[in-house]
Amino acid sequence: MSERKIIDARGSFCPGPLMELIAALKLMEVGGECEILSTDQGTAKDVPEWCEKVGHETVESGEKDGHWYVVVRKAK
Amino acid sequence: MATLPLYIILSSADRDKLQLASMIASVAAVSERPVHVFVSMGAIKVFDKSANGNDRYGDSAFNAELCDKNAPDPIEMFSQGKMLGDMTMWACSMVLDVLGWDESHLVEDLFDGQMGLTKFLSDAEEGQLMSM
Repeated sequence: MSERKIIDARGSFCPGPLMELIAALKLMEVGGECEILSTDQGTAKDVPEWCEKVGHETVESGEKDGHWYVVVRKAK
Repeated sequence: MATLPLYIILSSADRDKLQLASMIASVAAVSERPVHVFVSMGAIKVFDKSANGNDRYGDSAFNAELCDKNAPDPIEMFSQGKMLGDMTMWACSMVLDVLGWDESHLVEDLFDGQMGLTKFLSDAEEGQLMSM
């Protein structure tokens, strides 16, 4: 089973959550997953857009308990 | 299609403009878009390594809100862009000359060197140029 790391970026302003995600992905093996938690609504669209552009995979995203989350699988 | 490099000229010490410029630069750099930043005129004083915290920025319409909410510092975001993406920063050789500064006056580990405007503009012909 692949590794999943949770990054709690709640309270961080744009583009902080994306930057925290990228820093975590750099340290992760291909196939590993990061779940980013954010109170910045833009994250819910920004992160999937970034994944599509650079070639990672958005596994799931949504809203729960007053924050947004996106799960990303490192694909390269 | 290859992504066009982004060339950004900074000339203002306004926090608003530098905040947005650092957001654009860092996000583009980590999105596999090469970014080159040229720092000139009043903007160079923001990067004086002896300046302190928010005092380094000029007043601007949104500065108080950015400070109150502890928004990420533009210098930190430029640093993140360099660390995580493809980004270079250049100090305008003309303003360093006017101020009598050399690169040792500037925030450490951020600049790739100094450059003249002619060279930067020539390089920028192959990409998109914006000025803030």
